Amino acid sequence: MGRRRSRKNEESDDFDDEEDDFRGKKRWRSEFIDDIAEEDGDYDEEEDDEEIEDGFIVDSGAELQEEDDGRRKERGPFFPQEEELEDLEKLEQTIQNRYGPEYGDYDDEMNVEQQALLPSVKDPKLWIVKCLIGHEREAAVSLMQKSFNKGSVVQIRSVIALDHLKNYIYVEADKEAHVKEACKGLRSIYSAKVVQVPIKEMTDVLSVESKAIDISRDSWVRMKTGIYKGDIAQVVDVDNVRQRVKVKLIPRIDLQSLANKLLCFSLVSRINLIFHGIHVIPLMTSSVDLEDGREFVKKKVVPAQRPMNIDEASEMHIRVVSRRDPITGDYFENIADMMFKHGFLFKTVSMRSISSQNIQPTFDEFEKFWKPKDGYYDIASFSTLAVSRRKCHFMKGDAVVIIEGDLKDLMGWIEKVEDEIVHIRLKMKGLHETICINKKSLCKYFKPGDHVKVVSGAREGVTGMVIKVEGHVLIIVSDITKEDIRVFSDHVVESSEVTTGVTRLGDYELRDLVLLNNGFGVIIRVESEAFQVLKGNANKPEVVFVKLREIKRKIEHRFSRANNIVCEKDVVRIVKGPYKGKQGSVDRIHGGVLFIKDRHHLEHAGYICVKAQSCTVIGGTRADGGRHGDSYPPRAVPKILQNCIRPPGGPPTEFNNNDVDGGGHRGGRGHDSLAGKTITIRSGQYKSYRGRVVDCKGQSVRVELESQMKVVIVSHNQIYDHVAVSTPYWETPHNGLGSETPMPPRTPLHPYMTPMRDPGGLFLL
Amino acid sequence: MFFHIVLERNMQLHPRHFGPNLREKLVAKLMKDVEGTCSGRHGFVVAITGVDSIGKGLIRDGTGLDHVPHQKYQCVVFRPFKGEILEAVVTMVNKMGFFAEAGQVQIFVSNHLIPDDMEFQSGDIPNYTTSDGSVKIQKESEVRLKIIGTRVDATEIFCIGTIKDDFLGVINDPGAAA
Repeated sequence: MGRRRSRKNEESDDFDDEEDDFRGKKRWRSEFIDDIAEEDGDYDEEEDDEEIEDGFIVDSGAELQEEDDGRRKERGPFFPQEEELEDLEKLEQTIQNRYGPEYGDYDDEMNVEQQALLPSVKDPKLWIVKCLIGHEREAAVSLMQKSFNKGSVVQIRSVIALDHLKNYIYVEADKEAHVKEACKGLRSIYSAKVVQVPIKEMTDVLSVESKAIDISRDSWVRMKTGIYKGDIAQVVDVDNVRQRVKVKLIPRIDLQSLANKLLCFSLVSRINLIFHGIHVIPLMTSSVDLEDGREFVKKKVVPAQRPMNIDEASEMHIRVVSRRDPITGDYFENIADMMFKHGFLFKTVSMRSISSQNIQPTFDEFEKFWKPKDGYYDIASFSTLAVSRRKCHFMKGDAVVIIEGDLKDLMGWIEKVEDEIVHIRLKMKGLHETICINKKSLCKYFKPGDHVKVVSGAREGVTGMVIKVEGHVLIIVSDITKEDIRVFSDHVVESSEVTTGVTRLGDYELRDLVLLNNGFGVIIRVESEAFQVLKGNANKPEVVFVKLREIKRKIEHRFSRANNIVCEKDVVRIVKGPYKGKQGSVDRIHGGVLFIKDRHHLEHAGYICVKAQSCTVIGGTRADGGRHGDSYPPRAVPKILQNCIRPPGGPPTEFNNNDVDGGGHRGGRGHDSLAGKTITIRSGQYKSYRGRVVDCKGQSVRVELESQMKVVIVSHNQIYDHVAVSTPYWETPHNGLGSETPMPPRTPLHPYMTPMRDPGGLFLL
Repeated sequence: MFFHIVLERNMQLHPRHFGPNLREKLVAKLMKDVEGTCSGRHGFVVAITGVDSIGKGLIRDGTGLDHVPHQKYQCVVFRPFKGEILEAVVTMVNKMGFFAEAGQVQIFVSNHLIPDDMEFQSGDIPNYTTSDGSVKIQKESEVRLKIIGTRVDATEIFCIGTIKDDFLGVINDPGAAA
């Protein structure tokens, strides 16, 4: 429609502007546009619409008009009338004008210019000339000097010496003879070997990206090759010309083997030994010939990192020479051509064998570096660490302290963070404006008592409270494990979040009772790939690490039999065994074994595993446990009580099998205890229906609904026990037991239970 | 620090308790529910001293429970604060520090915050003791400590304390006394 309209406008414009010409020459315009149909009659009818539409779209029409005008102007001459086509040159001219520079893309324009700058045959050529290795710069400079001195006699245009290209320099000149002439007489250039660089490759000479990272002194790097591969090192000196750096490492030297080697290589001793019939083989062999003639490199055993102890070395009769490094003036101990100082090895390596980007030493490495002998912290080292730190998360509201410059030791809060500049509001009377500081001069500030979370580094995810601040290092007491951790202050942010750590892995969660290949246990810790499980060996804590697949299945929390002596969440005290005297709440029960959670017990996340027999219940659950702190040793349970506490409808044989002492002969057949109980279905199709359990088979339970004349099958986890036989659920509001006062009336709330039934736990002992 | 404040609570009462002693039962239930609990804001509720007012109860549809909206009661609460100085009883000593309890609040004193001259000694009764043996911190010792930080869990308040300042440390040593 729009198009039609526009076309109509065109037509009307035609009518408006050039009535005489275009009336008859509408055809030419419509070669691209198929509007033949349009031109058929009925134009009058549409004219009304057109007018109305025109009225509406007056503005856009106007715009369209302009466009159309423009377009028409293009198109018009593009398909010039026959009369105008006579002059081809003119045509060409017009086309040029139109499709010349002003019409093209501006991007292309730039490219065109660049293309134009490429070397062509008319430009001076580039010649590659061999020179003395390592002396490229020298060669270039001498050529330059020569051309300055001699002026126009030397007819080369320029000389290029690339850092990364050894042995060669580039000379720009018109003719090879010029190059040779210029190089004559210079010692470092071999003028015999002059080769021209093809035109297409000329640009590549100078457009090679070199690694722009400047390795600076005191920065941290990692070794890429050799025995020290992967080790962190600190740069002591940089030699850009020769592309070498001197680094400081923690030595990996096996003194014994070194001693042997030195011994071997000492002629006198060797002869001596041979004379005595002992053929000494150097310990570090680098290649062994196999029978089939292949040579294979035997892997060197990498010695452990240990600071070098000079005394030890001299004991082993290794020659230690004290040498003075001419450049720095420091004294080094030289052992077997390796330089040592303060226990560190100083080695000169090529820049290629180190990686310098984004090297962050871990805290342990850093510690090792600055604590070769125990208890020696160099404050200066922290500042170097500060300098080389790259990662710094600053957020609005962080408390920071300025660590360098005039404003050192001033505290403030961050108002705004930009890339490198941070705006701070200072903590000082009278200073209300914010100041801008470079990120590097700031350090996060934490006070003891702040609750923080670690956001980067090895200890990511740990939350805890700061107890001590030592420069850039904070000591945090972890929330979960209560152990102290050292972290850099850059890696933490203040947060009130308390993490429980990872609690889920796969199907299993913390605190789950799981069945293993050999026994069962409670998951006390979840790590990234495995679980730590406290096994159900009473009185003998055994913690195993199991992988996800080694767990057979989760032992479902089952409602155990009615004659629970001890229920979950009961507070019990251990009276026998190694944990005697400890007290805690029962977390899980399985097979006569209780897993008690005692927050005072620091091991195993507070879990203690004991046999139910060795505990006594102290009161019931926490709601009323404290008040009625009667402790009835399980043994004292009178048989009479036990007789009454029988699973309603359950076979008497079940009861007989119980331990008289025991707290729990539960598990395994837990489901049977449900039979006959009144339950409420809590999820699924029959949610909130009450019913009586008829039968249980594994996971499925058959329930006779109270409200309908139906027996339905539901899954076990869809119901819960309306009768709080095993665990009084105080939380569920409908459960009237929750509101009980200490003396529960014996109302027939539980029609199938004898009145002695006391779910309050008082008599459940 | 202990405070005596007025708190409010919504309660629900089962109809079985309706009767002449309704109010007493309500109060008893309140006490049972609230005493011994801890909230992040107020701290531990130590004891209820009195009930101010009980709102009008309404029977809830569907459950039959009586919903008593605003029960105002006065109670004594205990809440530890940062910077507070408390006396506490040591409950556990290990190489990372020791745990002490001041009522229901547990305070952990890390070994970094124990004066440097005291060292951990493991053994039958692990303890921290000075080099000359004059001062000893072991289980059941009373110490005066300063709280440097508190953390509120869902139902528990956990504190970190220090004894590294002046006038802090052991008050009464059961070992020495005996």
